[in-house]
Amino acid sequence: MRKIWPFMLVGAVLLLGIAGSALVLQRPDTNIVEIVQDGNVLHRLNLAETEDQIIEVEYDGRINTIEISDHRIHMLEAECPDKTCVGMGWLDSAAPIVCLPNHLVIQFSDSDALDAAAG
Amino acid sequence: MRFTKCILAVLMLTATVTGCGRQSENQPMAAERSLFAMNTYMTFTAYGEDAAAALEKAAVRIQEVEALWSVTDEESEIYRANHSGGQTVSVSDETAKLISFALEMAQKTDGALDPTIYPVLAAWGFTTDSKQVPSDEQLDELLRNVDYSRILLEGESLTVPEGMELDMGAVGKGYAADLATEILLEHNVSSAIISLGGNIQAVGSRPDGSDWRIGIRAPWEDGNLGVLEISDAAVVTSGGYENYFETQDGDIYWHILDPSTGRPADSGLQAVTIIGKEGRLCDALSTALFVMGAERAEEYWRENGGFDMLLVTYQNEIIITEGIADSFSLNDGRTETIRVIAA
Repeated sequence: MRKIWPFMLVGAVLLLGIAGSALVLQRPDTNIVEIVQDGNVLHRLNLAETEDQIIEVEYDGRINTIEISDHRIHMLEAECPDKTCVGMGWLDSAAPIVCLPNHLVIQFSDSDALDAAAG
Repeated sequence: MRFTKCILAVLMLTATVTGCGRQSENQPMAAERSLFAMNTYMTFTAYGEDAAAALEKAAVRIQEVEALWSVTDEESEIYRANHSGGQTVSVSDETAKLISFALEMAQKTDGALDPTIYPVLAAWGFTTDSKQVPSDEQLDELLRNVDYSRILLEGESLTVPEGMELDMGAVGKGYAADLATEILLEHNVSSAIISLGGNIQAVGSRPDGSDWRIGIRAPWEDGNLGVLEISDAAVVTSGGYENYFETQDGDIYWHILDPSTGRPADSGLQAVTIIGKEGRLCDALSTALFVMGAERAEEYWRENGGFDMLLVTYQNEIIITEGIADSFSLNDGRTETIRVIAA
């Protein structure tokens, strides 16, 4: 007699996890994108307004080429061993595009929000 | 067979759960804490390994000093001094430092800040819920007992002459914010923002290294005037709109009193925001410069320095010192004109 319930349980948990991930990682309600290197914001761009362009960022002699096209942003090329960041495609969720070897992060910014109010 | 299935289930569960975490490696853990103290609501956010413990200690410290400095708590050191019938009482080191600072600021501001104004404030009802306009005779009578120079502080011995009352309302919160900041720094918290009822103190920068964004409230209306971007600084605003009442005739009276008249300071300013390293200085000056008005405030800034300021006048002008001019951005749709002043 084969038991089917363990598979159903695992399946349910998996589905829940996927739903949770989708919820957490959905695209934030902003068009502001930051290009950050070692904690420093190098560029802040409004994707809704910015024109198509190529941005090059250097780290330790290696170049990352970032492309903005049709109000979207992605890593076009990277002079790094693994090219994971290139493979991540267009930025479309709260999950940032990260180039670990070159300490570079492209992410949606929620920093228009205020940290505190005086008065 | 069953065992392997179990293992498989656990593995998948683990993978699923870890898969939906946010980029947590680069974002240090945030600790948050809030409390009601010093007649206001305080919120704290700090980042770092030891942040939660640090915030807990800071909250305890603030409650401790509140118990020492409250003007209404019969157990407080200030209350005991105020109700000693002119006898000398001994106070703690911390209280002595606070009073010494308040008296120093009273002197430096030529009495625009006077920590003995409390009986007049009470007559207006700002310390209770029954706000009213006192008679001229009553104010004249009370003002005879308003004079910071008659407070005697020698070391930790404090004498408040009979009929007078000390109140740390204009400096206590700023001082408490400084104490909280000290505790956070001792715990290696390098990024924190605390708000003591609108008195802001920023420790370091945001965890990502950018400046904290502080909204500066628009006087007498909802919403913000603009945004100030700062790191490692205190930001304190004083304005009549924060606590006021309106009579049946439509006259408006607010809580910041001019110690020379005993009436609400009417110097042409809607609000004063002071930006500086120390909360205590910002707290004291936001009140004092509100009383002084724009012209004297500018003079004071030029003579003393050590802080930046943002003044909002009733002519809808924002006067801002050069040190923060680039850090302030007016919100869209605001009609105020901005004038930057240089030393």
